[in-house]
Amino acid sequence: MAADFEAPRISYATRRRLARVAETTILLITLAIIVFPIAWIITTAFKTPRDVYDLSIVFPPTVQNFVIAFNAPWNLGSKLVNSIVVSTVTVGIAIPIATLAAYSFSRFEFFMKRSLFLLVLATQFIPAVVIILPFFLMFRDVALMDTRTGLIIVNLAIVTPFAVWMIKGYLDAIPNESEEAALVDGASRVRVIFDVVVPMALPGMITAAVFCFILTWNEFIFALILTRENAVTLPVGLISFRTERGDWWELIAASGIIITVPMFMLALVIQRHFVKGMTMGAVR
Amino acid sequence: MAEIVLSGVTKRFGDFVAVHTLDLAVVDREFLVLLGPSGCGKTTTMRMIAGLEEPSAGEIRIGGRVVNDLPPRARDVAMVFQNYGLYPHMSVADNIGYPLKLRGVPREERAAQVRAVAAKVRLDGLLERKPAALSGGQRQRVGLARALIRKPTVFLMDEPLSNLDAKLRVEMRAELKHLHHELAVTTVYVTHDQIEAMTLATRVAVMNKGIIHQLGTPDEIYNEPADLFVAGFIGSPAMNLIDGRIDDGTFVAGRLRIDGLGRSTRESVVLGIRPEDMTIGPAGSGHGDLPVYSSELTGDSTLITLADGNTRIAVRADKTVRPAIDDVVALRIDPRRCYLFDAATTRRLAI
Ligand SMILES: Nc1ncnc2c1ncn2[C@@H]1O[C@H](COP(=O)(O)OP(=O)(O)OP(=O)(O)O)[C@@H](O)[C@H]1O
Ligand SMILES: [Mg+2]
Repeated sequence: MAADFEAPRISYATRRRLARVAETTILLITLAIIVFPIAWIITTAFKTPRDVYDLSIVFPPTVQNFVIAFNAPWNLGSKLVNSIVVSTVTVGIAIPIATLAAYSFSRFEFFMKRSLFLLVLATQFIPAVVIILPFFLMFRDVALMDTRTGLIIVNLAIVTPFAVWMIKGYLDAIPNESEEAALVDGASRVRVIFDVVVPMALPGMITAAVFCFILTWNEFIFALILTRENAVTLPVGLISFRTERGDWWELIAASGIIITVPMFMLALVIQRHFVKGMTMGAVR
Repeated sequence: MAEIVLSGVTKRFGDFVAVHTLDLAVVDREFLVLLGPSGCGKTTTMRMIAGLEEPSAGEIRIGGRVVNDLPPRARDVAMVFQNYGLYPHMSVADNIGYPLKLRGVPREERAAQVRAVAAKVRLDGLLERKPAALSGGQRQRVGLARALIRKPTVFLMDEPLSNLDAKLRVEMRAELKHLHHELAVTTVYVTHDQIEAMTLATRVAVMNKGIIHQLGTPDEIYNEPADLFVAGFIGSPAMNLIDGRIDDGTFVAGRLRIDGLGRSTRESVVLGIRPEDMTIGPAGSGHGDLPVYSSELTGDSTLITLADGNTRIAVRADKTVRPAIDDVVALRIDPRRCYLFDAATTRRLAI
């Protein structure tokens, strides 16, 4: 009621200004917390060992750290190749399989469908450390220790269920009418998937692929236990710079950049493909 | 030869029966129109013929062959979907040409046929667009063109003209009529537009709640309705259905007395009479004097609603007749145009 309305003791304009100051302060603090480690990595990667413990941002930059990291004994190059091969092959196998599985879950009725889908999801809840020992024993017996193939298999097990779940979400949102029209127009089920489903689900598949790539790229614990020399990946390689004779922070920083840059580029790809509206106009 | 025969076809969705033991024989080269209120099972029936929905019971035959277990592409039907079902990632031309692409028709020939059929449905100039950049009516015509580009065994068209403006609808109706004459392909066609049904159909099947109430020529459906549902559903404005009794050939209801309806006597009958088969005149000159409830000029005629107690009776009178509300007028009915229905069974009674 108008009669009960009292003017606040602090005017609205002042309140708004105060709120803005508080907001900006919080944002700046948050930003600092996020940005500082990144800034530290980027600067340290280009510092000489002498400058590492110096927090100054003005120093004579050098690419020497990258040169050292890529040469013996560290051989970051072979680790980079391992990471690329393992991630690419994993994603290349996981996405087609996951798409077909997701399609079945999304479109067909079959025995125990709900339970099976739950089972697929459940695999994601098992912590890696719980199953790493059985994996270790199994791989030792079938000679998959320290091989890229072994790592690919492990990563497939991690990444495929995740991709199934993610792609199914996209497929569920695609109207069935277009597929039915294609069936009536004379397409086989396989043809429908290639001509109609995949083009419409492509943004979802690309997004899933990028997420799977990141998961595989950053996967650490399995790679640590299941590789020794030949199949070592970048995250494990990073740890090897912490030796008994001290931590090579400038090398860690340099390889940190090598690990991060591809991820950064993939993030850009995701952003481009997060375009909605692909299915608009199919039905009224 | 491609007759479609549905024998005892039932479709259940859980406990809900969408189509109830349907028997329907669509004759070769026939243009059969399915007519019925929303939700009566028209689309479901079509989808079962196309192979997109599996019947819960019964048998479907196309051209003598049982197709129950055949996938859609083995049935050789072309369908226009109620929701269009376009391919959003393909251009209009690719949408229309897709059935031909699947059949391995070379690119050049495909393009020529796409252009020809696009011209028929007035889509020329839009061929490079994506469906998202089309209006509803344009999308619908893409769906229509995609079906018409083939010469299938059977056409299934689910309200293919529902979203077009009046003028385009008349044009498309003529196109379809001509095309059916030219190709003589057995066609099942769903519409809510009764003029469309009357003009296109060889026969009309009137459906309600998953059951066919009457199957006959447009003339039969209109002039010899089998039961109350058909009588009330066909015709616009709808036929008047007046509850009453019949006493030695005279229908009695409220203030109405209509004689000359045979010689029978019967309690609880329903009299059916179309608005255009009645006129009004000065009080005392007809079958009963009733007050005018409302009077609407529709252009070519005046639609007058009379009140007989709680019953409303619509009369289509000449446009020069302009009664005022609450005027008392006489209702004049042509007894030869009256229908009698058994109120209990809803079936039509012979007069
Ligand atoms: N997949 C389904 N699951 C459950 N019920 C369904 C399903 N498809 C249709 N129905 C029901 O079956 C009945 C018939 O539907 P149908 O689509 O055949 O109606 P229609 O006659 O085509 O109606 P309209 O004129 O509105 O298009 C409706 O009551 C509908 O709710
Ligand atoms: Mg329908």
